[in-house]
Amino acid sequence: MATRSENIYKPFKVTLEKVIEESPLIKTFVFVPEREFRFKTGEFIELTLDGIGEAPFTPSSSPLVTDRFDVTIMKAGYVTEKMHNLEPGAVLGVRGPFGRGYPIEDFVDKEILILSGGCGLAPIRSLLYMLIDMKDKLRKVVLCYGSKTPEDCIYKPLFSELNKINKFQTLRTVDLADQYWEEHVGVATVLLDHVEVDLAKAVGVVCGPPVMMKYGTLKLLEMGFPENLIYLSMEKNMSCGLGKCGRCMMGSYFVCRDGPVFTYDEVKGQPNIW
Amino acid sequence: MARYYEIERTAWDKALIDLLSSFRVFAPILKGKTLDYQLIQEEHIPHIVYNIPKPVVPLKTFFLPIKENVVVYKKEEKPIIILGIPACDLSALDLLDKFFMTEVYNDHYYAGRREGSVLIGCDCHSANKHCHCTSYGLNPFPENNQDMTINMINGHAIISSFSMKGEELLSRILGMGLVIHTFDEVPERLTEIRLKVKRELEKANRLLPNYQETTDAVINSDKVIWEKYAKKCVSCGACATICPTCTCFLLIDRPGFEKVRQLDACQYPGFERTAGGENPLKKLEYRFKNRYLCKYLYRPEKFDAIACTGCGRCIEACIAKINKNELLIELTK
Ligand SMILES: Cc1cc2nc3c(=O)[nH]c(=O)nc-3n(C[C@H](O)[C@H](O)[C@H](O)COP(=O)(O)OP(=O)(O)OC[C@H]3O[C@@H](n4cnc5c(N)ncnc54)[C@H](O)[C@@H]3O)c2cc1C
Ligand code: SF4
Ligand code: SF4
Ligand code: SF4
Ligand code: FES
Repeated sequence: MATRSENIYKPFKVTLEKVIEESPLIKTFVFVPEREFRFKTGEFIELTLDGIGEAPFTPSSSPLVTDRFDVTIMKAGYVTEKMHNLEPGAVLGVRGPFGRGYPIEDFVDKEILILSGGCGLAPIRSLLYMLIDMKDKLRKVVLCYGSKTPEDCIYKPLFSELNKINKFQTLRTVDLADQYWEEHVGVATVLLDHVEVDLAKAVGVVCGPPVMMKYGTLKLLEMGFPENLIYLSMEKNMSCGLGKCGRCMMGSYFVCRDGPVFTYDEVKGQPNIW
Repeated sequence: MARYYEIERTAWDKALIDLLSSFRVFAPILKGKTLDYQLIQEEHIPHIVYNIPKPVVPLKTFFLPIKENVVVYKKEEKPIIILGIPACDLSALDLLDKFFMTEVYNDHYYAGRREGSVLIGCDCHSANKHCHCTSYGLNPFPENNQDMTINMINGHAIISSFSMKGEELLSRILGMGLVIHTFDEVPERLTEIRLKVKRELEKANRLLPNYQETTDAVINSDKVIWEKYAKKCVSCGACATICPTCTCFLLIDRPGFEKVRQLDACQYPGFERTAGGENPLKKLEYRFKNRYLCKYLYRPEKFDAIACTGCGRCIEACIAKINKNELLIELTK
């Protein structure tokens, strides 16, 4: 976290080492920071393309690795499109980490049910690496992931890796299957009909596009998850990342500072949460 | 308890000439019909306006300029004196200081300017048409955040200090001018003016709900009233830009990893738009209402400070002639 003497608006430099194509619209960028970089899972950074623009992203790599980190970026507009054209060697700026991430200490001795969709799997991957690290202290982890088509499924190697780990289970679905797809078909929430959880021991984590966040949360509530054990990663327009610029307001909260991870009971009364 | 010193205006003016050698002094000067802060040269000193509300721009513009490079630090040559600040703008600092000068993520641009300025407040000896500070528990004379105060009454200046910075300045001034009188408490002349102005303000705003009533009314309002008033709004953002407690900004990137902070407003259509087109404040009436929610509910809740000082500038600035106070009166009728 920034000390009092640090300029909160000045980025430090990172060099792009590698680009991994995940899907037609999503790439993972591996960065080497000019100095050691530490973050907690679910915290985000502001990534600057020099002279062009800045946007918030949640690192998708393991917080246990501090000499490089991954950012998985979906092409969504002006800045992200330019980022997709980057080649290894490019130098970018980073501010952060910012915000409040996942309270993983509260996940000890729990069953963790994760519902994710599209590029929302990026922050979840970093969480999964932490959960793998602490797997002896967990009951089980179920990952439900939805994407539009089989082609849009990101992190394909991650799923086979997870399926080999005792206590970890994954389910995938696509809105639109092709002839080779053998897993589920339908929107992400349909996967929840296929999981078994012990509600007395379970926590829910939801991260994805707004529609999925909404219906996913409603479904978890219907299944009987308590409101204070559903963790949502809220997405708002952001500029400063520090609770100053006011753009990410959600009621009295600044999502960048008070979130982006909130429990459902913290946000349910606020206007326009989805 | 502060002591009050009475000196001749001529002695005060001489003191200002002396201060110009070590400070950049800003004070309200009338340009046409507009009262605005100006960088003072010796020849301006006789034209400085005292005790008349209020400079057209709020005090915040000194600490939060409309546009500023926040990566390349430009150090000011001299510390600043800001003279003639009304009480409402000084009160706005309660919120702004909590907002920008934080333990974690301290904003050095704001903090640097704030710490490098001496603030000289002025009582309001009259009230403007839209002034409503008293409705929100404030008085029309400085009580918070001023380093010094000055009141100009019948050609005499009554000055007083309220902080270490103020004390330093005051002793420099008193060291050169002739003190006519020293008062151990607020001089009677001043108390009379204060009471008169306060009564005037209370009378003018007797229909206006107080802060808590406004908060409750905004929470419990139905959308009809927002639709009605928002219909005229053109989303120009003037109400927010001119507001002494509005803080919103955008960072703009410049080559060399530089960033320019530019004031922004929730009244602009794209303020909350995210990639993919989601925009919680897309509808005009939501945006319009957001300013009231921010002022009367969100900011007070989060920062335990009022976010409307009753300065009335948003009413004067609105090109659609939307009167916030008329809306609030209608809301609580
Ligand atoms: C906390 C957080 C974490 C995120 N993590 C990821 C991630 O890991 N991977 C990923 O692909 N995307 C992530 N996003 C979304 C990503 O920030 C936006 O896709 C990105 O800002 C779009 O920028 P653009 O210039 O390409 O889009 P445009 O639509 O062209 O936007 C122009 C400007 O609008 C603003 N803006 C637009 N959308 C957003 C948005 N969603 N959030 C903030 N500002 C916005 C920015 O100022 C941007 O420069 C995250 C968003 C948040 C808030
Ligand atoms: S909301 Fe209007 S009256 Fe209140 S402080 Fe801001 S500009 Fe002044
Ligand atoms: S959200 Fe709107 S009303 Fe609130 S500080 Fe920002 S510009 Fe002002
Ligand atoms: S100044 Fe008036 S017209 Fe402009 S955004 Fe504010 S309310 Fe709307
Ligand atoms: S992004 Fe600036 S306040 Fe949250």
